[in-house]
Amino acid sequence: MLRYLARRLGQALLVVAGVVVLTFAVMRLVPGDPAVAFAGPKATPEQLAEVRRRFGLDDSLPVQLLNHVRDLISGDWGISLHTRQPVRDDLYQAFPASLELVGAALLIAVVVGIPVGVLAARHQRRLPDLGVRFGSMLAVSVPVFWLALVLQLVFASRLGWFPIAGEYDSSLDTTSPLTLWTNITIVDALITGNWPIFTSTLQHLVLPALVVAAYPTGVIAQMTRAALIEESGQDHTKLERALGFGETSILTKFALRPALNPVLSLIALVFAYSIVNGFLVEAVFNWPGLGRYAADSIRSLDTPAIAGVTLLVALVYVLANLVVDIVQAFVDPRTRAR
Amino acid sequence: MLWHKRLLAAGVTGVLILTATACGGGQVRGAGGTPAPGTSGGTQPAATAQANDSTFVYVPNLDVVTDWDPAISYSNEIIALQNIYEGLTRYNSQTKEAEPLLATEWTSADDGKEWTFKLRQGVKFHSGATLDAEAAKKAIERTIEKKGGAAYIWDSVDKIEAVDASTLKFTLKYPTPLDLVASSGYAAYIYDVNAVDPEGRTTAGTGPYTIDSWQKGKETELTLKAFDGYWGGWRPDQYKKVAFRVTPEITTAYQLLQRGEVNYVQRLNPQLFEQAGTTENVRTEQTPSFQNLLVLFNTATGPLRDVRIRQALQAAIDYDGLAAALKGSGQKASGLVPQGLLGHVTGMEPKQDLAKAQSLLAEAGYGPDNPELKLSLTYAQGDDDQKLLVTLLSSALQKLNVILQAKPMTWAAQWDQGKARGQDVFIMYWYPDYPDAYSWFLNVFKSEDKPQFNLSYLKNAGIDSVIDSLPELTATDQVKAGQAYQDLQQKIITEQAAVAVPYVQTYQRALSSDVEGYVDNPAYPNVVFFHDLKRVS
Repeated sequence: MLRYLARRLGQALLVVAGVVVLTFAVMRLVPGDPAVAFAGPKATPEQLAEVRRRFGLDDSLPVQLLNHVRDLISGDWGISLHTRQPVRDDLYQAFPASLELVGAALLIAVVVGIPVGVLAARHQRRLPDLGVRFGSMLAVSVPVFWLALVLQLVFASRLGWFPIAGEYDSSLDTTSPLTLWTNITIVDALITGNWPIFTSTLQHLVLPALVVAAYPTGVIAQMTRAALIEESGQDHTKLERALGFGETSILTKFALRPALNPVLSLIALVFAYSIVNGFLVEAVFNWPGLGRYAADSIRSLDTPAIAGVTLLVALVYVLANLVVDIVQAFVDPRTRAR
Repeated sequence: MLWHKRLLAAGVTGVLILTATACGGGQVRGAGGTPAPGTSGGTQPAATAQANDSTFVYVPNLDVVTDWDPAISYSNEIIALQNIYEGLTRYNSQTKEAEPLLATEWTSADDGKEWTFKLRQGVKFHSGATLDAEAAKKAIERTIEKKGGAAYIWDSVDKIEAVDASTLKFTLKYPTPLDLVASSGYAAYIYDVNAVDPEGRTTAGTGPYTIDSWQKGKETELTLKAFDGYWGGWRPDQYKKVAFRVTPEITTAYQLLQRGEVNYVQRLNPQLFEQAGTTENVRTEQTPSFQNLLVLFNTATGPLRDVRIRQALQAAIDYDGLAAALKGSGQKASGLVPQGLLGHVTGMEPKQDLAKAQSLLAEAGYGPDNPELKLSLTYAQGDDDQKLLVTLLSSALQKLNVILQAKPMTWAAQWDQGKARGQDVFIMYWYPDYPDAYSWFLNVFKSEDKPQFNLSYLKNAGIDSVIDSLPELTATDQVKAGQAYQDLQQKIITEQAAVAVPYVQTYQRALSSDVEGYVDNPAYPNVVFFHDLKRVS
C-alpha cells in the first residue's frame, strides 16, 4: 500500500514539475521583452534596466528556471504585472470564490444528475429515458457563455428574480461584516452565522451555479444511467429479481452502490474541469473568481499571473486525480496490485 | 461500503480547501487597514444605489488600483486618485487653458523659465496638516526623486523655492509651460509627504474624498468617502460616497446600469451605447479623447524611403469608411493634435484618393502595371479598431498591386521590432501625459539616433528646431505657438508624409439620468470628478 502511494505521489510530482518547466518555457518564449510589459508602454531605458535587474532577467535561462523553481517552492509566485500584487495573494483571493461556485454547481449536479440517471435506467428506452438522454445531451453541449447570458437576461435583468452580477451585496459589509476563516464567503458566512451575507450569497449563486452545473449534471446523469444498466445485467440483480424485489428498489438499493464507483471518480475529474469551464460564466456574472483574474491576466499579457493560474489549475487536476486514485485503492485492492 | 464514498468526497473537498488555504498562507482579503488574518474582512459601505442613495457607483472595466503612491501612480487608479489628490492647476479642454485649483494665480517670467504660483489659503491635507508652499515643494521634489511613472514631466525644473507660506517659485533649466505641466493627470499631485502610504490605508491629499475601503480582487474593489475638511465644502445634494464596481463584461455592466444599480459605465461597445441612448433613466455622453491613432511610415529604410510611396499610402486609407465602421468609438482626425489642445488645426481631415495613390505609385515604379510591392505592417494584437483599419487598407492596396503583410503583435514585441527598424508601417496610439501637444512632436517626430518612439525614424533638422521652440512659445506666446504647431503638422504630414492619422478615439459613456454636472475631461482619461456632481431626484 505504501509503495503504491509513493509511486502515485512520485508520478503526480513529475506532472507538476513538467507543468512548471512548460509554463516557464512559454513565459520566456513569448516574443518581446518581459521588462517592457512590467514597466509600461512609455518606459525609459533606465526604468527598463531597473526592472530587468529587479526580476533577474539578465541571468541565463537555466539560472532563471532554477530561481523560478526555488521561488515557487518558497511560496513566491512572482508579482502580477497588472495588479502589482504577489500572484500568490491574488490567487488566494480568487480561488476560493471559484471553489464556491464550482462546489455549488457540483452539488446541483450530484443532487439532480444521479436521481435523473436512476430514473432513466429504470425506464430504459421509454419516454423518461428519452427525455433524460435528450436533456443531458443538451446540457452537455450547450455553450456555457450563451446559457449564462440567456439566464442573466431573462431571470435577472427582465424578471428581476435574481441579482445580475456579483458574489453578494457588498453594502452588507458595513451592516454585517464577515469574519474570514476559509476565505470561501458562503462557508465563512455559515460557520460564523452571518445570515444576511449567507442569503445574499445564495441568491447571487443560483444563476451562475446552474450554468456551471449544466455540463456535470449531463455527464453524471448519463454515466449513472449507463453504469446502472450494466449493473442490472449482473447475476446479483437476477437473484434480487428472483427474490421478488421491485425494479426500483433493485436499482436504488443494490445496483446503485457498485454503479456509483465510476461516477465518483468522474465527479473529481469534472470538478477540475469545471474550475476552468467556469471562467466564462464568472466573466458574465462578474464572479470574483479565477476566471476574471485569468481573463484580465491574459488581456494584459501578465505572464507571471498566467503561469500562476496554469500551475494552480494543474495542481487541482493532479490533486483531484491523486485523491481519487488513493481512495479507490482503499476501496478496491485490485488497484493496488496493478 | 458507504464510508469509502464519504471518505472520497470528504477527501477531495478537504484537500482542495487545504490547497486554497495553503496557497494564501494566511493572507487577508483586501487591504485598506484590514487587521490580522482570520478577522474582519474589512468594512465596505453601500455599493448599490438602492442601498445608499448618496453613493455614486462607477463601473470601470479593469481593476482600479495598482499603485497608491501619488508620486509614481501611472495607471487605472487615476479615476480614484484625481478625486483624492489635487494639483496646482486643472486643465479645461473647453478653454484650452489651465485653471486654478490649489494655486489661485500664477505668473511666468524670463521667457517661461521662471514661474510663481500663489497657493490657496485654508487648505488642509487629509492628514490634518496645512497646505503651504513648503509642503507643496516637498511633494513635487519627492515625486521628482522617485523617478517613477510620469515624473519626467518635471524634467525642466531646476529649483523650487518656498518664498513664503503661500508663494511657490520654480526656476527652470529651459522654458516650459509649467501651468500645463502642473495640471497633468499623473505625477502632479500635491500631497503631504509624511503621510504617504503605498499600501492604501490612508491618503495624504487635499481632495474631496479619502479611502473608505480597498479590497483588491473584489467586485467592489474600492470605496471612497467624503473628506469633511475639504476646502471646497460640501452641499447636501452631492455624493458623499463613491464605490468602484469592477465589471469587465460590457453586457453585464449595461444591465446593471439599466436596473439602476450603478450610476456610470466607463465604456460600452458601440451597439450597447446606441441602445443606452434610447433607454429610460439612462443618459449617454460622447467626447473626443486626446488619444489618436498613428500610422507611422518607415522613412529610413525599405521602399517607404520614397516619399511618393508614403503619400500613396496616405491616400489609400479609407478614412470615411473607417470612421463609419467605428460607429462613434472614433472620429476622423484633423492633423496630429486632437481637438481641445493648443495646436489643433481644422481643415486637415484626410480623404481617400485611390487615383492619386495609383499615380504616385506609378511615378515610383509600382502599381498595377509594375512589379508587385510588398510592405510589412505591425499593429496591436487584440485591438479590433486597428484590425479594421488594417483590413480596409490592405484590400485597398491589393487593387494597387501592393501586398500588405500585416502582423498583430503584443506591444512589447511590436516595440522591440520597431526600435530595430524592423517594419515598413508601425501602428500605435499616442496620448499626452499632460495636456500639451508637445508630447507628440518631442517623442514621436524629433530625431533620435536610437529610436524610442520616433518609429517613423524621421530625421529632419528643420522640424527639430521648430519642435525645440515649442515649449517657450507655449509659455510666452500662444498665438505664435499655434502657428508653429500648424507649420509642423504641415511639414510632417503633408510634405514628409511620415504619418497618417486616421482617427481620434471617442469616449462613449453611459450614466444614470439623475446625475447632473458631469463633464468628460479628456485631459484626465476616464476620471469623473465626483465632487462636481449633483444628484437630482
